[in-house]
Amino acid sequence: MTDFEEPLSDEEKVRIAANFVTHAPPGEFNEVFNDVRLLLNNDNLLREGAAHAFAQYNMDQFTPVKLDGSEESVLITEHGDLGQGRFFDPRKRVSFRFDHLRKEASDPQPYEGETALRSWRDACDEALSAYVKEHYPTGVCTVYGKTVDGQQTIIACIEGHQFQPKNFWNGRCRSEWKFTISQSSAQVVGVLKIQVHYYEDGNVQLVSHKEVEESIVVTNETQTAKEFVKIIENAENDYQTAISENYQTMSDTTFKALRRQLPVTRTKIDWNKILSYKIGKEMQNA
Amino acid sequence: VRVIVRVCACDCVRVIVCVPSLCEDLLSSVDQPLKIARDKVVGKDYLLCDYNRDGDSYRCSTEYRDLYFEGGVSSVYLWDLDHGFAGVILIKKAGDGSKKIKGCWDSIHVVEVQVRAGAPLPVQTGINNVNCFYLPNLGNMDMENKIRSTLNEIYFGKTKDIVNGLRSIESLPDNQKYRQLQRELSQVLTQRQIYID
Repeated sequence: MTDFEEPLSDEEKVRIAANFVTHAPPGEFNEVFNDVRLLLNNDNLLREGAAHAFAQYNMDQFTPVKLDGSEESVLITEHGDLGQGRFFDPRKRVSFRFDHLRKEASDPQPYEGETALRSWRDACDEALSAYVKEHYPTGVCTVYGKTVDGQQTIIACIEGHQFQPKNFWNGRCRSEWKFTISQSSAQVVGVLKIQVHYYEDGNVQLVSHKEVEESIVVTNETQTAKEFVKIIENAENDYQTAISENYQTMSDTTFKALRRQLPVTRTKIDWNKILSYKIGKEMQNA
Repeated sequence: VRVIVRVCACDCVRVIVCVPSLCEDLLSSVDQPLKIARDKVVGKDYLLCDYNRDGDSYRCSTEYRDLYFEGGVSSVYLWDLDHGFAGVILIKKAGDGSKKIKGCWDSIHVVEVQVRAGAPLPVQTGINNVNCFYLPNLGNMDMENKIRSTLNEIYFGKTKDIVNGLRSIESLPDNQKYRQLQRELSQVLTQRQIYID
């Protein structure tokens, strides 16, 4: 073990603490935060130096939040970030303050968004919401219509999670899909992510992601929205099927390559035979 | 201070640089991936762990390892106790390195053998290695097989189930829509009560 002659600076310590927090598995932010808080033992340092990490975590994870009096949730993402701790809900057309530690929304204000893209955004949101209800038991989606790098873009975010810490597991899937509507032919670009953590008497994580690209023909709002969701549905079904198949492959080949269930002889080792062979050999050599 | 279960090698170092006083506790309670070192004298690889940080090495029978692991590296370290002996058996097998597969199996078995006072020891003329006597008893403790089966069936099986609980390839049954209807109904009923009042 190397000796650390110089103690670490506060800056370096809080950077390490922030790094632990941003890598917390889904549903375990509080546990990691509390542990890190104990280790760092300096609340002011943690609050000031790692605040950006708390915000980054919620945006990466597509954390869902309900505005007061609403049955539906909106996702916290980089696309809805207005700065100064405020985010917006493009469906309800409101902006709100978000507390990253309490994960609570407050102070709603009207927020119009980009009106030029409204009809496209609304059509995609309606089609996507129906799709999410059909396939995600606890799914939430948020659709933005924004000009990005001069291009009018639709950005769709989907999130679904199950947190069961009492059963020692948590899981979350996220996907983000984009395409531009400026031209009649466009590329739909998608990123799909899954993370599962199971820690009953052990510690196993599945972390997987996939990138997808498909072309789409842009016509009118309703038709394009329908095509967009069809692409998403096919890609996400394929991804989920591939993951299930990978489990079988892993069991049959990879895992076996590391350690077999039975010896190559297909029968369990006879230890007495090995022992007498060994003793015999040593007696010969004596 | 609770030990964070989720650490791995580089995380361990990160925690230690923040809180140096935890160094010994952390290293002895968290298993690190086994490191391979080379014995240039004999020309063989051996494994490093907490138990042989300052000890000698003793190379064990490779029959077991080759039958189950078809290769890999193993090392055994034994030390005397007051009434018997203890040891750690280390095995490390990395994946075959083919492009799409990356993996590593590390085993750390810690055993303690107590010899009752007065128990007869086997007398084998010309044999120096009395510890061989205990080999069949140690070998038949099939912890590895149990752990491997558990990993395959429970851990991998469970994570797959969780994935399929997050999203359904088939369209979800209509009880989702039924629950939505329930919500709408209760809202209407609440409004009706207010109206009556």
